Amino acid sequence: MVSVRLEKVTKKFGKVVAVNNVDLEIEEGEFMALLGPSGSGKSTLLYLIAGIYKPTSGKIFFDDHDVTNLPPRERNVGLVFQNYALYPHMKVYDNIAFPLKIKKVPKEEIRRKVFEVAKLLRIEHLLDRYPGQLSGGQQQRVAIARALVKEPQVLLLDEPLSNLDALLRVSVRSELKRLQKNLGITAIYVTHDQAEAMALADRIAIINEGVIQQVDLPEVVYNRPKNMFVGGFIGNPPMNFVEAGVEYNETVKLIVGEDSVWLPQEYIEILRKLKLQKVVLGFRPEDVLVLKDESQVEPGSSVIRGEIFTVEPMGREVLLTIMIGETMVKVYAPPTQYYSMGDKVFLQINPAKLRLFDPDTTIALEYLVKT
Amino acid sequence: MMQLWDVEVKSRKIEIVLILAVLLASLPLILNYGLLILSSFSTEMVTNLDPTSFRPTIDNWILLFEGRLSVTGGVREDVVRYTINTAIVALGVAGVVVLVSVMAGYAMSRMNFKGRSLIMQLILLLHAFPGVALIIAVYLIFRATLPSDIELARIYSFAYVIVARAALEIPMSIWLIKGFFDRVPWEVEWAAIIDGASRLRVWREVMLPMVKPGIAAIAIFAFLAGWEDLIYVRTFLFDRTLATYIESNINVEFAYMPLLAAAGTLYLLPTILFFILTQRLLLETSTGGIKG
Amino acid sequence: MKRNVFSTNKVQLLIFLLPAFLIVLLFYIIPIIITVYVSFTPMRNWNIDKYFNVIVGLQNYNRLFSLITRDPVARQVVVNTIVFVAITLVINVLGGLGLALANFFIDERVSTGFRTLWLLPRMTPIAVYGLLWYYFFHGSNIGMLNSIAMSLGLIKKPIAWGQEVIPWGPWSIIIIVNGFVGVSFGMVIFYSALKSIPRELIIAARVDGASNWKLTTNILIPLLRWHLLFVTTWQLLSLLTTYAHTFLLVEWGVVSRTYGQTWALYVFNTAFGRGEQDQGLAAAAAVILVIFGAILGWITVRALGFNKMITKPKGDI
Repeated sequence: MVSVRLEKVTKKFGKVVAVNNVDLEIEEGEFMALLGPSGSGKSTLLYLIAGIYKPTSGKIFFDDHDVTNLPPRERNVGLVFQNYALYPHMKVYDNIAFPLKIKKVPKEEIRRKVFEVAKLLRIEHLLDRYPGQLSGGQQQRVAIARALVKEPQVLLLDEPLSNLDALLRVSVRSELKRLQKNLGITAIYVTHDQAEAMALADRIAIINEGVIQQVDLPEVVYNRPKNMFVGGFIGNPPMNFVEAGVEYNETVKLIVGEDSVWLPQEYIEILRKLKLQKVVLGFRPEDVLVLKDESQVEPGSSVIRGEIFTVEPMGREVLLTIMIGETMVKVYAPPTQYYSMGDKVFLQINPAKLRLFDPDTTIALEYLVKT
Repeated sequence: MMQLWDVEVKSRKIEIVLILAVLLASLPLILNYGLLILSSFSTEMVTNLDPTSFRPTIDNWILLFEGRLSVTGGVREDVVRYTINTAIVALGVAGVVVLVSVMAGYAMSRMNFKGRSLIMQLILLLHAFPGVALIIAVYLIFRATLPSDIELARIYSFAYVIVARAALEIPMSIWLIKGFFDRVPWEVEWAAIIDGASRLRVWREVMLPMVKPGIAAIAIFAFLAGWEDLIYVRTFLFDRTLATYIESNINVEFAYMPLLAAAGTLYLLPTILFFILTQRLLLETSTGGIKG
Repeated sequence: MKRNVFSTNKVQLLIFLLPAFLIVLLFYIIPIIITVYVSFTPMRNWNIDKYFNVIVGLQNYNRLFSLITRDPVARQVVVNTIVFVAITLVINVLGGLGLALANFFIDERVSTGFRTLWLLPRMTPIAVYGLLWYYFFHGSNIGMLNSIAMSLGLIKKPIAWGQEVIPWGPWSIIIIVNGFVGVSFGMVIFYSALKSIPRELIIAARVDGASNWKLTTNILIPLLRWHLLFVTTWQLLSLLTTYAHTFLLVEWGVVSRTYGQTWALYVFNTAFGRGEQDQGLAAAAAVILVIFGAILGWITVRALGFNKMITKPKGDI
């Protein structure tokens, strides 16, 4: 097992910059998810690590070895593709044995290893079939087996679950996690599905337009997004953003329309330092209390007035779309209350969960202070 | 799942009119091929459309394989040998074309190098190159390199006609097989390369099995090209093939016409056979994989 | 270290391209050079030893030019070529389009049969295909055309159509014989293009009440513009250079030599034909054909944007 380190890696395709000056470190035995919308450059990043692409500039290290110019075969990585890329003319056994055959491993040892990995993935009974005769989930296991059989230093997975149906995806997901932890293998996992990234990864790297936006633990990425992109990308529905003015008096508070929002001490100090006149207030749909009546508002807490635009019952809760001035926000409310279109409501945001962003740079204020 | 091509209310009447129109246009072809085959089983040519001239017999076929040109004449023609010669040329052309184009087609599809696009366009142009301008010089080279030993020269003429005829087919075959390589998912090749295979190995063990239909297509086209050829065979080959046999005997006074119809039918047989067996492949790829 | 990666790639590339390169070199590039060279020598009767090292400058080109201007037979070659290429081209493009459209509108199983049948002339051995038309146009009463014409009372006794009806007899014959081969090219290209038109377009037009004719003129043909251009230029090129079928028709006397010989066949007959073989003159005529073809071909490939069909390989390995 090795650690993987990318130093200022840039990859251009003609004039298009697919990966832009990326620094990233994946620790030994870590499960790292590369998460981003399609076209963000996450797959390119994976293929750069595999050696299929060569960086336009920058360096890639496995531990302390510079592998930037090594061909794929000398990197000893296992790669699992979205479409599995099994060889259709070879039986499952030969598919899994192929990497070892190329390494000229003795026949007996190939046999032993293929059976070992087949057992690990519970596909022993399929070894004699052709890929075309297998279900999607089984093909997926064969592809993983083929990647694992050569005992790679790094396991690379390119959206390996996206061709499976939703139910199967969840079960394969947990199995993949167990497998990775048992083998202690360094794994890099490309996905556009945030739920998958959250469930699987030790850390998540969020990528957009070829640039790494944030690398951190799943809960940190969710609770303390580094910028508005991350906040807006993670979570379903994503974080709400409302523009707000800042009023500096004996205390510091936000002005949204005619309403004021009190801030926690942490943000008051930051704002006094930054002296911003405008910020973007971000909050997650579940961090809001929806009050129908001004009388319900506890004295001393701050609320924002809005009007219900749509009501979508979701079973466990109700998803409300609310207009705050010209801005649309989505919030969850308990289904015990009756809401209807056009109702005037008061939104009470949990002060501990609200986030503030700089409207110019879109960066979260606490990160702006740190750097 | 059924795919809907058109709404299902299109007029049956118009369809029948169209079928009749195409049938009418096809009539010369149908008659030509049909009557050639029929005449080969008749004592007289039936190409005059007179049913009374059809008197069934298989004598034409017997005479053909006995190597005679007429009922009375004593000229011997070794038709079996000519058939074998034709087959040698056809198989040879198919072999050379397949080998050369699966190698070049793979490189053109999967390897990036400077001038690749230009080379592909030039290859397309070679296909349209006036063959008559080449054959003069190709024959000149043949004359200049011909061994003096007569047996050796015979063998040389076989080898030469095969490679020279294959050269005409190779440009289009490269384009065709390149299209097949293009359709193999990249991930399959990458998987093999990451597993440590060299390009040569990827090509042989992973890519070739996946473009089998393409190889079959170019092999069939090359075979038929070698099989149907007249110009190259009559120019280079010392031995006779079915083409030169028919060519040289058609106007011979003692040649017996229904017998030549039998020879023509025999010569047509593999073509028809391939047509029935690989109809779909032919229809889909007969224009060299050019799709806009 | 970067060099190292690169050079193994280059070696592999060379291995893959070597056979094709050798073939192209030996059977295209070197022959083209030799042909151009021979056009400057007085080569005749394949007497390589005697003539190969003799350079006569533009003499062959001058001879060719004066033959065309003074010799009626040579001038007829130019006329034949123009008439043959122009008419066959129109037949091939329109015929191919008509066949493709007709096949598009009829039941798929029936159309498969038709399309296979029309492909047959292209694949039939040249000698057999020649034989078919030899019987068809035969100058005696076994000729199909003669027996049809006689039974309809159009003629009293058999006619050698390609020899006696000058010049349209031989012209029609070479146009028909080559037309039946060439039409299938357009048919296949147009048909597959028609089939790849999104079904929704056709269904939408049908829902709007379009008849076959309206559908064809307003939707199908406009969508085939690229293919029409391609088939036209490509057929123009192949008709200029084709000669095998016509060679047999002339050799077997189905058509008159004077009125059946096109430029490409003239080149072949001058180099390989009966009587004195004049390779120097043939090479000069061939070079002119090559220049013409190369310009036409390059325009085709460029104008039609063939480089767009060449997708770039992925990956850096």
